[in-house]
Amino acid sequence: MAEQKKKHKKRRTATRAAASIGPMVKEFIAGTVRAQREGAQKLAYSFIVCHHEEILRAMDVLPIWTENFAGVCGAKRDAERFLQRAESLGFSRSLCTYALCGLGFDHWREELGEMPPDAPWGGQARPDFMISTGQILCDPRAKWYQAAQQYMPDVPIYNIDLPYPLYHPDRDHREELPYYHKYIVEELKGLIAFVEEQTGKKMDYERLWERVRLSDKTWNLIEATYDLRSAIPCPMGTGDAMNTMVPINFMMATQDAYDFFLNLKQELEEKIKKKEGVVENEKYRLLWGGGLPSWFALGDFNYFNSKGAVFPAETTYRMVAPIAEMNIPKTDDPVEHLAWRWLGYWTFWYDKARQRKGGEPDVERLINYIERYKIDGVVMHEAFSCRTWHVGLIWQLHQLAKIYKPIPVLRLGKDGNKTQAWRENPSLVLESDIIDITSYSEVDTRNKIDAFIDTLESVAKSRVD
Amino acid sequence: MKCVMGIDMGSFRVKGVLWCQGSESVTFECPSGGDFEATARRAQKELLLISGRSANEIVGVLSTGYGSKSVMFADETRSDIACQCIGVHALFPSARTVIDVGDLHSKVFSLDENGAPLKFLLSGNCAGGSGRVLQIIAKVMNMKVEEIGEVSLKSKKPVDFSTGCVVFAESEAVSRLAEGVPKEDLLAGIHRALSSQINSLAERLGIEEDVVLVGGGARNPGLVKTLREVMGRDILVPEGPHMTAAYGAALLAGSLYNFKEM
Repeated sequence: MAEQKKKHKKRRTATRAAASIGPMVKEFIAGTVRAQREGAQKLAYSFIVCHHEEILRAMDVLPIWTENFAGVCGAKRDAERFLQRAESLGFSRSLCTYALCGLGFDHWREELGEMPPDAPWGGQARPDFMISTGQILCDPRAKWYQAAQQYMPDVPIYNIDLPYPLYHPDRDHREELPYYHKYIVEELKGLIAFVEEQTGKKMDYERLWERVRLSDKTWNLIEATYDLRSAIPCPMGTGDAMNTMVPINFMMATQDAYDFFLNLKQELEEKIKKKEGVVENEKYRLLWGGGLPSWFALGDFNYFNSKGAVFPAETTYRMVAPIAEMNIPKTDDPVEHLAWRWLGYWTFWYDKARQRKGGEPDVERLINYIERYKIDGVVMHEAFSCRTWHVGLIWQLHQLAKIYKPIPVLRLGKDGNKTQAWRENPSLVLESDIIDITSYSEVDTRNKIDAFIDTLESVAKSRVD
Repeated sequence: MKCVMGIDMGSFRVKGVLWCQGSESVTFECPSGGDFEATARRAQKELLLISGRSANEIVGVLSTGYGSKSVMFADETRSDIACQCIGVHALFPSARTVIDVGDLHSKVFSLDENGAPLKFLLSGNCAGGSGRVLQIIAKVMNMKVEEIGEVSLKSKKPVDFSTGCVVFAESEAVSRLAEGVPKEDLLAGIHRALSSQINSLAERLGIEEDVVLVGGGARNPGLVKTLREVMGRDILVPEGPHMTAAYGAALLAGSLYNFKEM
């Protein structure tokens, strides 16, 4: 018997680039508080994935990413007091917990006239204006700032609506694009007019073009960098990518974001050269196929690693696509370009999905990543409070299992003969929340991961290729 | 003689199987209690006592279940799903879907013709979809959990429970009792509510026959009956359905040490 044989597996360190993100975010949050105090720059509550960073940066507006701050509260396991405050104001816990955390914080800050005690990383600064969004990705983002305005009635809101054509297997979306494009251009121009009014400055369109070109260049660099993760062993996992999402989503249109990915690319190339992987003995390659992470439980990625599993790819927060493959029409107007890029991103998988029977863009993206990154299994996270995004995850897994069976196995027929068959990639759905830790059980989560690893092992054994 | 041991350290009960080559396996079970490590040692001791074997005859121990990592004398640990699949496959080679109604969760998983797990789903973090709800309702009724299944079978008019939440179910049960609803109707209602939740989980996973029911919940005839009704299909139940994970753990330990068939 093996009395006291169990030994603790060494925790793998993150890439240097990912490790640098924490201090970067901390400084960013501190910077917004400083800027507010000094009054040199206007501050705007903003949401990610709205293609307006270039506009804000070109007009010297400092975005305050409210989803980011809620995530920071979650990661520091200090969101509960803000969630409870929001509940005491009458908001239900079943609403988006990012929004609840932000509303609880805002109410507290406004009530005190200063930051709440021990506010995470110095707290979230009071904005000069707010830019909400009615875009399809997430419905609370249209209402969150309206609710926040109850506590900050003097802070104006501009709501930007960024739609895109829905997928239809038998209809070419390109026919509808001009209509959508025209609408989005008007929305972005409306935002520019609003920001001009708030800042008292006129937009410098040459400067805007510079920012747009910098973003495009950064998009392509991110694609090239993340493609390096297809190497075996994988040099960087999703645990790290939940850090490196910061330059993608919060720093786009800045030189810092571009430089960050230049450094990361170089680091990954060095790791690949040295055959240095996230785990020493890589057994399973997994795809984080959807869902925001539980920010308070990122250590679960290390737990996967301790089982020999690594995540070379994720769909979450990879909010870029190769610009060259989008066929963006040439234009002299940076606003028109932004609108085309928005549509190009959201319809990127449409044509590929139409080529597969039963195809669907989100599922096609999963299949593409499974093949490109040599994936053995898919993991998703269903966060109870994030309805808009997470509600379709199970459907995606079902559809994936239905149309894509890449694993050759032998099946025993009723006649006793074995015949070759194909089966789907194993999948795991974790259940918790983005920042509400009361929804999380570490024991249950890790038991699920253990069972999933056993499933991967048995599937690997049953492969006949 | 060489022996192997499988320990299923559940949150409610610990189950152990000792298998010595060339002889019948022996089993032991007891409540898990608050100290998992001590309970695991007790199970080890009792198994040796019952079998008349000595500790140095044991060449391998495999632990599984909620508290598997508390079994400090185990050589290997495997998930309960992997062990259940092996245990169930040994008893029912035709099984393709397994429903495990445990104390903290209900689990549904599919397995292939070799007994290997293919996919699985667990009931949510709320205990409303697990065997725990039956324990809580039994307490409300001042009955033993082992009794409530039989009583529920006498029901002529099961109560409709409007919730799957265990806390709400408890308060609803208290209200219904106060209204004078017969115990058997109330119990049949809670069994039906649990069966509906398990069925939803199974439908979500995808059901392939044969379906086997295991875990402590499978010892409850009321749950077996309502689950068959709600799912509209036959469900196989092994003898000692709560022991299958421990049995599978012993089999897996045996295969690691090249034992012949049990």
